[in-house]
Amino acid sequence: MRAIFRIALHNLLQARLRTALLTLVLAGVTAILIVMGALSHGFSDTLRTNATALQSGHVNVAGWYKSKPTDAWPLINDVDELERIARENTPGLDYIVRRDRAWAKAISRDHSFFVSPSGIDIATEQRLKDILQLAPESAYKDGGRPEPVGDFERLSEPHSVIVFASQAKRLGVAVGDYITLTAPTGSGRTNSIDVTVIAVAKDMGIMSNWGMFVPSDAIHELYESADDTSSVLMIYLDDPDEAEDVMGHLREVYAAAGFTVMDHQPAPFFFKFEEVAGEDWTGQKLDLTVWNDEVTYIDFMSTALDSITAIVIIILMGIIAIGIMNTMLMSVRRRTAEIGTVRAIGMTRSKVLAMFVTEALLLGFFASLLGALLGALIANGIDAAQIQPPPMVSMLLLSDTLHLSVDAAQIIRAVIVFTLVTGLAAISPAIRAARLEPVTAIHHTS
Amino acid sequence: MRALVTTACLLALTALAAPTTASAAPLTPEQTHQVLVHIDDMQRNGGDYKALIFLESKQRDKEDLVYQLVAYRRDADDKLMMLFLKPKTEAGKGYLRIDKNLFMYDPTTGKWDRRTERERIAGTDSNRADYDESRLAEEFEPTYVGEEKLGKYAVHHITMKAKRDADVAYPIMDIWVDQATGNLLKQQERAASKKLMRTTYYPKWDKLWSPSKGADVYFPREIRIYDEVEKGNRTVIAIQEVDLSSLPLNIFTKAWLESKTR
Repeated sequence: MRAIFRIALHNLLQARLRTALLTLVLAGVTAILIVMGALSHGFSDTLRTNATALQSGHVNVAGWYKSKPTDAWPLINDVDELERIARENTPGLDYIVRRDRAWAKAISRDHSFFVSPSGIDIATEQRLKDILQLAPESAYKDGGRPEPVGDFERLSEPHSVIVFASQAKRLGVAVGDYITLTAPTGSGRTNSIDVTVIAVAKDMGIMSNWGMFVPSDAIHELYESADDTSSVLMIYLDDPDEAEDVMGHLREVYAAAGFTVMDHQPAPFFFKFEEVAGEDWTGQKLDLTVWNDEVTYIDFMSTALDSITAIVIIILMGIIAIGIMNTMLMSVRRRTAEIGTVRAIGMTRSKVLAMFVTEALLLGFFASLLGALLGALIANGIDAAQIQPPPMVSMLLLSDTLHLSVDAAQIIRAVIVFTLVTGLAAISPAIRAARLEPVTAIHHTS
Repeated sequence: MRALVTTACLLALTALAAPTTASAAPLTPEQTHQVLVHIDDMQRNGGDYKALIFLESKQRDKEDLVYQLVAYRRDADDKLMMLFLKPKTEAGKGYLRIDKNLFMYDPTTGKWDRRTERERIAGTDSNRADYDESRLAEEFEPTYVGEEKLGKYAVHHITMKAKRDADVAYPIMDIWVDQATGNLLKQQERAASKKLMRTTYYPKWDKLWSPSKGADVYFPREIRIYDEVEKGNRTVIAIQEVDLSSLPLNIFTKAWLESKTR
């Protein structure tokens, strides 16, 4: 085996130009795979980070309250009891925060649009504070200062609001201006509150289109809801990958404790208003979800990125496989004499086959390793460069800069796949070489 | 000429919009309640009602919209039907109120959607109550504020809070009622937070003999609604061709509205 390995290596080194060209092509395709995979992985990273900071816990205990069948209020009563049960029954619990959800019209002096303000206690929202960044005033105000203005901590003040830069621009407001939020209360009558902008955050893609943050009391005042109600308990886990299992466990625990739990529906809460309003029941039902349920509307982006990567790679792999096959066939033809000689001195057919396949495997391994490292380098370089994509792309990628993330498993997978593909592509030419009769081979060349 | 009419209207509305306090001779709670009863009674028909309505909506950042619709009412059963005729894109759409449920029909999808009673009709600042029978005495608790002058009119200014179970869009309302005729001239609706949300003017009233009531029925010829939060948004409802004769029995059904687009 060692001899075959040495011969294969020797052959590769001898045909330097051919080896270099094939290495270049293979490495290039591997690098493309790694960069595209890093983009997709980066998107998934951003999605999870943003989603679990802006609008969801790893597991959510939310619910719906209906005083009459046509209602659909995203409210949970007995929130203290629900939180106690969650604390006592959540394996791997990190922490829990409460949020109040609403759907309201945000109105400034010049413009208006519908938003989903979240009522929060800023003191408990470490994850949110870590991810939000103050936007420079010039990002949303003509003639604004290049430095950021405002302070997220001021959300502890009553009637305050944090908006995103694109919202501030659309509404024509800056820090210190006020916005009116109007919404129907639980009794269906219109209510309004005026909130003052205390900070403007940098945009975070599509999620910053409709999300804004106000103190929890503001939502209670807007909806005229009681202080002991909330909309969702957002549960954070030590290991987010356990979210599905934890949700399943909590569903059973709450049902056993006498709460009515809705069937699991993997969709964000604001997709459920109409359906819940159409259901013929009154009272309280709990609705448990995991973080990716709340962002299903953006999942298409992840699927699209993965699909594009898969299509590009399949096409490139096909081209490479044909290229390798052709190159190997040419190699077999050129080395017929050599094959005849080694067969004449006793090398078996299987060893000839192994020699050619090993040659391809070696080529595939080193080229894909080189390409993977190059791709990782490029991906990390793009990530570090903080490149700003066009606004539309930025909105879909949930970030105002391109974020690429490479993980070791991705590199290992790419190297294994490309090595195997090159090895498989060489089998047919290798079989042809192995089938050559020594006499014919020597005669053919001479 | 058109500019002259517009200017005249604006002057009239400005006069209505600037109430001045006249001599304060407060009505008793009972008398105040009777003012509301009188407003409702003047507009109550008891039988059927049909009117051709032009709905003009001006909203900032949007193009002006003009709708033409027919409203049908059967006040004895609290039934209301609105069928849109124009523009072409809206023709066939409609609202149907049955048993305190408001439904909207969209002929492009062939679907009925349940809507809230406070639904903004066709996205304008008007809501169901603007087209429906007046129920002020039934839905609100009044408090007399005082006698005032609204332009040239001597008016009663009454503030009202919605009763607990009343199905109304705004929980607080101020009204200015013409002392001479008992007609509503102006109303201001407020959110639960007391923020002023909407001001409505009723500059023209008309009356029609109702055979079912055996008396005149009063109705506004024009309603002007101003959005007080989204300044610049306004809606004008012009009510024409009012007919108080009996309507066919099957009008207040989903099938009837659907048949209009088949």
